[in-house]
Amino acid sequence: MRNEHVISILESKPLGELNENELAQIHAHSPICESCRQAYEAAQVSAILLKERAAEIFEPSPFFQTRVLAALRERRSENESWAWSRLWRTAGGLASSMVATVATLAILTFVVPGTPSVEPQGSTVNAYSAEAVVLNENATSDDQLSNNDVFATLYETDDDVVK
Amino acid sequence: MKAFTQLSSYEGRGSMEGWLTRIATNTCLNLLRSAKRRPQLTAADLSEDESRWIESALARTAAEQHQSRERGLVAADLAGRVLQTLTPDDQLVLTMIDGEDASVKDVVEVTGWSESKVKVLAFRARRRMRTAVEKLLSSKRRDETAEA
Repeated sequence: MRNEHVISILESKPLGELNENELAQIHAHSPICESCRQAYEAAQVSAILLKERAAEIFEPSPFFQTRVLAALRERRSENESWAWSRLWRTAGGLASSMVATVATLAILTFVVPGTPSVEPQGSTVNAYSAEAVVLNENATSDDQLSNNDVFATLYETDDDVVK
Repeated sequence: MKAFTQLSSYEGRGSMEGWLTRIATNTCLNLLRSAKRRPQLTAADLSEDESRWIESALARTAAEQHQSRERGLVAADLAGRVLQTLTPDDQLVLTMIDGEDASVKDVVEVTGWSESKVKVLAFRARRRMRTAVEKLLSSKRRDETAEA
């Protein structure tokens, strides 16, 4: 037992958790084995170092809270700007589709050849409008009175009334 | 902050404390993993205080001397430098089990690793740590011999 190397014992568990038997074995073997003695020495130093490391109290820097809050604000504003840009993109898409629809309708209405017009040419002039009366002054039909007839009728009537 | 922003992903299956601990652990491990450089530590890299601490440790007086606050800080700093030569997983396991007296189950809970993985990691990490310290001590002895 004294001649058995103890390195595996040193690695099996933390140094502080070794039981009396294991410690006795290490103490018995270390003086006669240089490699195990060095390993035990290094294990002891390692154990102390790790304990000191664990005992160290880590305190956040005084600016930690400020930095975290600033980062949160930054992230939030990033999200907001992202939301706005998304909204803008959506609205832009909607507007583009509307413009495209209007343009398509305009092309279909005015440009595409062979589209029948709704009203025949010249029909914009009403038969009873002033223009029609003036333009068709000479084209009087048989059943219509001429201007002279109308005037004569009017003035005759007036003269009769005056008389 | 990561926990705050990922709050919606908390499913409420475990405790909130466990969830937060795991996030913190994984974040720290990822941070350590991203810093891939693992420097070799030799006696020449030690500061005067660290060198003196090692000497006193070798003289078996560290047990009394490491009580002082200043010595404790030197030791903690040196421990940090030695740990930096190990992998992040090794650092975590050693710091928790050997440093903070945490159980294997505690590490399992924090990391989500299997129990056997933690045990194997701890065994190997102890070996690596001991080897690193052994190298440091032997290089220090060589320097002293050369100076003499």
